[in-house]
Amino acid sequence: MIVFRSVCKTYKLGLLKKTTLAVDDLSISIPTGSVFGLVGPNGAGKSTTIRMLLNLIRPDRGEVLIDDSSVSDGSFLRDVGYLPENPYLYDHLTLRELLQFAGRSCGLSATVIAQRTQELTEQTGIAHALKRRLRTFSKGMRQRAGLCFALLHDPSLVILDEPMSGLDPLGRKMVCDLILDLKQQGKTVFFCSHILSDTERLCDQIAILHQGRLVHEFDSDDLAEFRSGERCLEDEFVAAVGQDTVQKEMPS
Amino acid sequence: MAGQRSKWLWLLIVLLLPVYAQLHTGSWAQRAELRQSQSVGFLVPSQFSRVLACGYKGLLADYQFLRILTFFGDRSLNQQPPTAEDWDYFRDSIDVITDLDPWFYDPYVLTEGLLTWDAGRIEEANALLAKGVRYRTNDWRLPYYIGFNNFFFLKDHAAGAEYIMKAARLPGSPSYLPTLAARLAYYGGKSQTAVLFLKQMLAENSDERLARRLQLRLLALERAAQIEDALQCFRHDQQRDVVKLSELVSSGYLESLPEDPYGGRWGILKNGRVFSTSKFVEKKKTDVE
Amino acid sequence: MMQRVWALALVTCKEGIRDRSLYGIFLFALFVLGLNIAVAGFFMRDLGKVTVDMNLAALSFAGLLLVFFIAINLMAKDIDKKTIHLVLSKPFSRGEYIWGKYVGLLLVILFAQAVLLLFSCATIASVHAMYPNYFAGFSWLVFFVAVFFVYLQQALLCAIVVFFSAITSTSFITLIFSMASYIVGISLEEVVFYLRSQAATQEVVASAALQRTLEVVSWLVPNFAAFDLKLEAAHGLALDWTRLGVTCGYGVMYIVILLLLASLIFKRREFN
Ligand SMILES: Nc1ncnc2c1ncn2[C@@H]1O[C@H](COP(=O)(O)OP(=O)(O)OP(=O)(O)O)[C@@H](O)[C@H]1O
Ligand SMILES: [Mg+2]
Repeated sequence: MIVFRSVCKTYKLGLLKKTTLAVDDLSISIPTGSVFGLVGPNGAGKSTTIRMLLNLIRPDRGEVLIDDSSVSDGSFLRDVGYLPENPYLYDHLTLRELLQFAGRSCGLSATVIAQRTQELTEQTGIAHALKRRLRTFSKGMRQRAGLCFALLHDPSLVILDEPMSGLDPLGRKMVCDLILDLKQQGKTVFFCSHILSDTERLCDQIAILHQGRLVHEFDSDDLAEFRSGERCLEDEFVAAVGQDTVQKEMPS
Repeated sequence: MAGQRSKWLWLLIVLLLPVYAQLHTGSWAQRAELRQSQSVGFLVPSQFSRVLACGYKGLLADYQFLRILTFFGDRSLNQQPPTAEDWDYFRDSIDVITDLDPWFYDPYVLTEGLLTWDAGRIEEANALLAKGVRYRTNDWRLPYYIGFNNFFFLKDHAAGAEYIMKAARLPGSPSYLPTLAARLAYYGGKSQTAVLFLKQMLAENSDERLARRLQLRLLALERAAQIEDALQCFRHDQQRDVVKLSELVSSGYLESLPEDPYGGRWGILKNGRVFSTSKFVEKKKTDVE
Repeated sequence: MMQRVWALALVTCKEGIRDRSLYGIFLFALFVLGLNIAVAGFFMRDLGKVTVDMNLAALSFAGLLLVFFIAINLMAKDIDKKTIHLVLSKPFSRGEYIWGKYVGLLLVILFAQAVLLLFSCATIASVHAMYPNYFAGFSWLVFFVAVFFVYLQQALLCAIVVFFSAITSTSFITLIFSMASYIVGISLEEVVFYLRSQAATQEVVASAALQRTLEVVSWLVPNFAAFDLKLEAAHGLALDWTRLGVTCGYGVMYIVILLLLASLIFKRREFN
């Protein structure tokens, strides 16, 4: 169970007291074992939300809880896999060394690491590049390597920041299958994406974030309607985001 | 198109190269002229250079030393006799170098080689060497140089003997040093010091042949010292100097005149000091002195 | 915990060793060593001293380059390029991150110094063979002890780099601060003792404020001059083992305290 309880985050830009409100009074709760999708325009605060969930940054107000304990104690990390947006991996390591590092830091044994490495790289389609240095990887290959890095220790909570960005159509399908796989294994998946059709297909729960605020939430009933074609997520998205922009502009 | 442009670039480079070559030789020639006309080099005082060295004091000392070497090398190559100013620069450089690394031996050798014989600045050389003596506590050569300077240049036998004795006490010093020191001490009128020095040398010495020689010298010096003591008493009691040494025996200050183990005859110098015609040198001795 | 620290250290070390700039630093050091062989003949007697001087200077200067460029780069790249997000999403505590990185930097420097030491020994041995009469004061033991202290000095500097990387956000500021710390630390002793001797002879009475400032600075910045055994090694002077022990302990204590402070500060830091 992941709970955001009226979370706010403001970035301070330099010494000039200029601030950006990135996340404003966000409250969500995500049950264990479900797939949650966060969508929203660029700069909506999706990555910020994810960083708060990983305790990389701290909320100004409110709290983030995983299974009823605050994320700030860090103990939940053992069971978390994270793919950052635009993952930048170490330049001079080979993929195998990177995955070895991922396994060792989670306390896996060498045989388990080797086995998982083989499985995951085959699944993500970069088994051929295991011996290559990461600096020679293309954007999509890096994305795949990042996925392997996140999933290596078989975590029960998977957090993916734009997992499809930079991937070819086959890669997109691979990610979708991967997420469905994880769902089937009863894992919790928290991801954000700009590809609404995939989000719609994969998720049990979707939230639209706009200018740091939660403007709309869809539960599994709404999603069923989307899938049956009665409603369209795209239209709802445009409506929610466009409406909000108008609202915001009025008072100022 | 691109090929055309890079052709022009190559042409430009080929045209510029001779100009560069011209300027290069010109610049080096200018520098050479400048270095000749420069009377003295630039020197950072040691309290600053020790800080500026940033932990590379030894290396900076090496560099400074190379500079001073080339400076005087240039001078002699161009047959320019160093001026007083040059010698000041030399002394200050060595001072800075030995402040940076007081254990560095080469600057002391250079000082002894140039500042004494060429510049005639014995006191300054001795002052620099004295710094070396303070740090290179196990090196007999530096006190030996100072002793030599005192003895040879300054005619200060007492000080010279003191330094040579100091050198003789240090490990690795040649075996002739103690006898040389003792003799110098004798001529400097300090027989008693020389006796003490030899006793100490004997106590520390394990070499048979050296011990025999030292004992002989010690005996002679002890006897000379004995006569000197008697002379002193005589002078004290009678308020005058003896005319002949036998007077000491006849008036009871000595039971008998001791024999010089080197076989010489005792005499008195005008200044009241005791000497022996043997000069405390064994007849067969071939030591370099 | 040790396993995680070690894993991160290994990754950092590999990342550092495979960096191209390492070869540049190697080339520089080898150039100095070659220069040593060329220049040795210019000196009259103390060839051993000059050789040791140049070798230790090459080792320690290469170490400085290593710390100021490779170590700072290794620390900064993690934060600049957000690789740290990947690392901290694994079960690393912030303290473990700091220690892992630090051990990794130590390994990089150890590796580079070991390679250079090999070359350095070869240089000394060959100059020794060329001019066997002028190595009276030379002692391998003192030389190796001096090399160890050069390494310790760089370990200290690494701790300073890690500390400043933990509290500042740009590598340039880290570079400036750690360079400044080094320069202050290496020259502080000389200035303090100079002022003291001046005060004793009453030639220049340094203001009380200046003296107090220096006193404070001497607590904050490690006295790098204490780790400088270049002169001792150059002349094969006798080593005072208790002094070395105290210096060693002083350095290790400083490193531990500084890194603990760094991890405290790092805990409060945000990575966005
Ligand atoms: N390091 C930072 N310093 C200051 N402001 C930031 C920083 N990172 C993000 N912001 C601001 O916070 C807001 C939210 O940014 P965030 O990266 O969370 O957006 P996002 O939803 O992930 O966008 P995208 O879809 O482009 O990835 C934006 O207005 C952005 O300008
Ligand atoms: Mg984002």
